[in-house]
Amino acid sequence: MSTAVSAMRHVRGFDVVRPLSIGMLVFMMLPLVFLPLASIFIFGTSNGLDKFWAALMAPEAIFALKLSMATSFWATVFNVIFGLFAAYVLSRYNFWGRNALIVTISLPTAIPTAVAGFALLLLWGPYGTLGRFLTPNFEIMFTAFAIILANIFVTFPLAFGVIKPVFDTMSRSLEEASATIGATRWQTFWHVTLPSLRGAIVSGALLTFARAVGEFGSTILVSGNLAGRTQTAPLYIFAKFNEGQIEAANAIAIVLALFSFLIFSVLFFARDWLDVD
Amino acid sequence: MVKARETLIPKPVEPAPALVDPPAAASVVGLSKRFGKTSILENISFDVAQGEVLVLLGASGSGKTTILRIIAGLEMPYTGKVILHGKDVTELPARERGVGVIFQAYALFPKMTVEKNIGYGLRIRKRKRKEIKEKVNELLKLVQLEEHRKKYPSQLSGGQQQRVAIARTLAYNPEVLLFDEPFGALDTQTRVHLRREIRALLRKVNVPSIFITHDQEEALELGDRVAVLNQGHIEQLGTPLEIYSHPATEYVATFLGAANLLEATVQNGGLQVGSAHLTAMLDHTQFQDGDCVKIVFRPEDVVLSTSEFVRSGAAKISAGRIEEISFVGAYERLRLRLDRGEECRADETPYYLTTETPESQPTKSIIATRPKPDAAATKLQIGDRVVVAITSFTVLPASKR
Repeated sequence: MSTAVSAMRHVRGFDVVRPLSIGMLVFMMLPLVFLPLASIFIFGTSNGLDKFWAALMAPEAIFALKLSMATSFWATVFNVIFGLFAAYVLSRYNFWGRNALIVTISLPTAIPTAVAGFALLLLWGPYGTLGRFLTPNFEIMFTAFAIILANIFVTFPLAFGVIKPVFDTMSRSLEEASATIGATRWQTFWHVTLPSLRGAIVSGALLTFARAVGEFGSTILVSGNLAGRTQTAPLYIFAKFNEGQIEAANAIAIVLALFSFLIFSVLFFARDWLDVD
Repeated sequence: MVKARETLIPKPVEPAPALVDPPAAASVVGLSKRFGKTSILENISFDVAQGEVLVLLGASGSGKTTILRIIAGLEMPYTGKVILHGKDVTELPARERGVGVIFQAYALFPKMTVEKNIGYGLRIRKRKRKEIKEKVNELLKLVQLEEHRKKYPSQLSGGQQQRVAIARTLAYNPEVLLFDEPFGALDTQTRVHLRREIRALLRKVNVPSIFITHDQEEALELGDRVAVLNQGHIEQLGTPLEIYSHPATEYVATFLGAANLLEATVQNGGLQVGSAHLTAMLDHTQFQDGDCVKIVFRPEDVVLSTSEFVRSGAAKISAGRIEEISFVGAYERLRLRLDRGEECRADETPYYLTTETPESQPTKSIIATRPKPDAAATKLQIGDRVVVAITSFTVLPASKR
């Protein structure tokens, strides 16, 4: 038996294992990844492209997409700046409690998004720890602002996680050289440190944005899911599906799927550009 | 090879002359540094004149890098002052000192071209674009990198990067240039070539420079003066010739290339080495009859003879047997086992206080070198008995280590 197998492996210099294993890999991914993705496109366009286009152009659909983009954008801006700052502090200074801070920043990765949304409600909601002081005059929950807060929370560690390792490996002598040449801390940061972080910042931002656009679990709790007011794209898909409007849900699903394709293609194929030394 | 008779008389080692005129361009006074309870530097003081090259030579952990970082403003001293061109800069941050540091790994900015790297100091000083361009062109010419101006540091060789680093610091007319083991990362050929280039360059720009290195050959070649550091203090500061020919301590003697050490006793104003007597003009305030001393001599100061006759200018110290002969390029190196001489033992030291009994003390071996013509004229073989003489030596108190 074993001789038969080993004889099979190589047939006149042709490695049988190679096409077999590649075929196996594709076959395994078929029902798990390829077919679900394909079905979005097949189903969404099965009634013709004009149906798809009409579903996409529905005012509520447009609004949901715009809201998703806007909230994700602001969450990304905040998290990249914060991640940069946190990475700087946590890799440049050694202090008591440093590791505890690193763990805390990274924690949102592991927290279920529904729990994150619930936690925000408990803090900022009308009866929440802080929210109750604001409630009569100012509402945070069930607004676009709440969606941004939820996005910030769940994507908190992403940019930080990409930027910090680059900081850690960056030679201190670059900054020291800049200082001896006569640069202020700010000039050093702007001219020397930041350019070396360009790749990390771009990939951190793309990751954060992609993750925020798709956020569902925390958003559905804090936004109130009001169509045309606080309904993001993933919530729109869920709502339309529940109402039985499969085409409407499907149109947005296609847009979101294409969007993530785009972002990950950039991350993958622009690696060389992002990592240039 | 035969040196003048006078060299047999060791000069008392004088401290390096204080630089009164011209005034010191850069000096440190009484620097000390400690991390926790560990003392890193103790009372370091020296001056560097305008255009002078001072080399801090020491093994790793001798504190040389710390001195450099303190002068640069990258570290604070525990006590002491840093004075640049008459101004106390001890409290100033690095960026206000106007020092130029050439780091071991060059520390060129990876995302800037050669041009941008060189112009950086002027750009952050908000100089006019035209002025920056002219200065950069001038420096590119000086370091001969004109055709590489648009390249990034990663596209340059180690030696080229080094030159960019130097041009980058020269751009803003630094008060002092500090070189942190600048040739550490280069291969032997490049480093020899580059240090000659840099030596010539420094002559042109006339800026006081401080080099740190652990390479004694580099120190002797580059330095106008050399400070030998050991465990955070300066063992000796002097011209390369002074510290090589007249080491002040055993550490200096052995750190700067091969050195032979023999025990001797001061007797009748001269020295008794085993059964041989050497005439020497000794500082009588330092050495008295009966004192134990050590004589230090270089392998090239040894003269070997197969007969009792030793050429003039050399003084016999012992006889010995050749144990090893090897050829090291331009010269021949021999290891000799000297016949047992009487060990120096100060009279008041009782036997039981010494850890080694005289019987257990090994006979002494020394290293000698002979230039090729000498080696060809008198062929020697392992096992041959020879008379050993020396042409020059330095006397050290035996207790100093």
